[in-house]
Amino acid sequence: MRRPPQIVAFGGGGFSMGSESTLLDDYVIGLTGVPRPRVCFLPTASGDADHYVVRFYRAFAAGRCEPSHISLFRRETGVADPRAHLLSQDLIYVGGGSVVSLLGTWRAHGLDTALREAWQAGVVLCGGSAGSLCWFSEAVSGFHGGVPRKVTGLGLLPWSNAVHYGDEPARRAAFQGAIATGMAPGYGVSDGAALRFVGVELAEVVGSGPDSGAFFVSGDGHGGATERELPIRKLDQCLFPTQGADGGEEAVAA
Amino acid sequence: MSRMAGAAGRCLREDPRRILAMGGGGFTMNNRSGVLDRLVLELTGRSVPRVCFLPTASGDQREQLMRFHERFSLWPCETSILSLFHLQRDRLDPREFLLSQDAIYVGGGSMRNMLAIWREHRIDAVMREAWEAGVVLAGLSAGAMCWFEGGISLSGGRPEAVKGLGFLPGSLSVHRNSEPQRWPAYRRAIADGQLPNGYAADDGTALVFAGLHLVECVASAPSQRIVRVELEAGSPVQRSLPLRVLSPAEVPASVDRLAPAPIDAERVAVEELRSVRVLRQRWE
Repeated sequence: MRRPPQIVAFGGGGFSMGSESTLLDDYVIGLTGVPRPRVCFLPTASGDADHYVVRFYRAFAAGRCEPSHISLFRRETGVADPRAHLLSQDLIYVGGGSVVSLLGTWRAHGLDTALREAWQAGVVLCGGSAGSLCWFSEAVSGFHGGVPRKVTGLGLLPWSNAVHYGDEPARRAAFQGAIATGMAPGYGVSDGAALRFVGVELAEVVGSGPDSGAFFVSGDGHGGATERELPIRKLDQCLFPTQGADGGEEAVAA
Repeated sequence: MSRMAGAAGRCLREDPRRILAMGGGGFTMNNRSGVLDRLVLELTGRSVPRVCFLPTASGDQREQLMRFHERFSLWPCETSILSLFHLQRDRLDPREFLLSQDAIYVGGGSMRNMLAIWREHRIDAVMREAWEAGVVLAGLSAGAMCWFEGGISLSGGRPEAVKGLGFLPGSLSVHRNSEPQRWPAYRRAIADGQLPNGYAADDGTALVFAGLHLVECVASAPSQRIVRVELEAGSPVQRSLPLRVLSPAEVPASVDRLAPAPIDAERVAVEELRSVRVLRQRWE
């Protein structure tokens, strides 16, 4: 099946955030357009945390898709050729954690180029938190103390990105400040909302909760930034009934 | 420190830079002998040293974190862990934090991932600063090879030469006795110039460096070996180095109780992961 390049970037939510709602996970599965898609989970940003991998297999149960994951911390086990495996998928789901550690590890294994190839070949790419920031050209990471750091992402999308946007005021201020001082304009997305890009253009914003919001932030030409709220399409109730994801204690890092 | 006699003692006194590179063993490998772990603390020369565990190479495997606290609770010291995957409670500046330590203990795992992640977080430069400031740098496996110009890592699936930070001249290959597949790869890498001359170390052994000088080799049992590997007339030649066998650490009886400690939710999750794998294989 031939699909256009697509990326779905969550501000937070989905199984990986321990969300009760499966709407975002159902949404990305639906985008593949195949009845039992091949879904590969990349838990790199968490250091391939076992409990996270378990939650993925629970949320993406074998009844509705063909789940797999790639561990870059234990290459001696599992998938022998990560590139070939990624290119054979319908959907690649990137988990949260540290976006800085994620990008470093991917580059060390050539996954940065493999993911670009997969995207161009029509494999749907998605993820939340660090798994969202990674697709953009620039992002602000609040991982270490002090001033939030600007991070260079894979650059598949020529925009910047901030996650947990409505939920962490410091992140919102840092994002606007970075754009005011020259970072690429981009998208601030709160938990429960997701941006769907076809090619590099935003196709729609979907939401799974009442408080989800998404904003386009750009420089105002006078050293400041302006924020424009984007319309959100609320996702309908679950089309594929599944077990609810359990609550996870994964720290929201990015 | 009092154990470091003669020339070794002088070297250690004159140069503040210390590295303890273990071939394997220590708490992360669930080794019952605590001598190498205790040596990390002894090398600091402090009565209550601050020791920070850096589990980056394993992806911060939770079992390692638990074992770190368990093992170092045996001796007077202040323990901490620096995660590069999960937010710390207080978002600390990693540079300041690492420089405030007396010893940094680096765990094993994927050397390639660890060094790539350190670079992104600028920890590699901090490590050099810490080393020069006299913070003891210790570690096993990936956490030992990283200080050298290179080592033999399974990070890519098969054993292959991987570049290190190059604080110490030469190369190191680890787990000489327990992972024999590294040995032919190490010999080949030295023979074809991918890696410089160096050392291959058994589990339970360690090389102690003061500055760039190897001051001694230690072992936790007499049967263990560290070999020096050098290219001579185009082929790698090995010879065993003299080892000092460390006297057993005083491990309180409570350790026997702690060793098979319940691994809580993590163990449950791992078991579940295994069962999920089995289920998946049925589908494929």
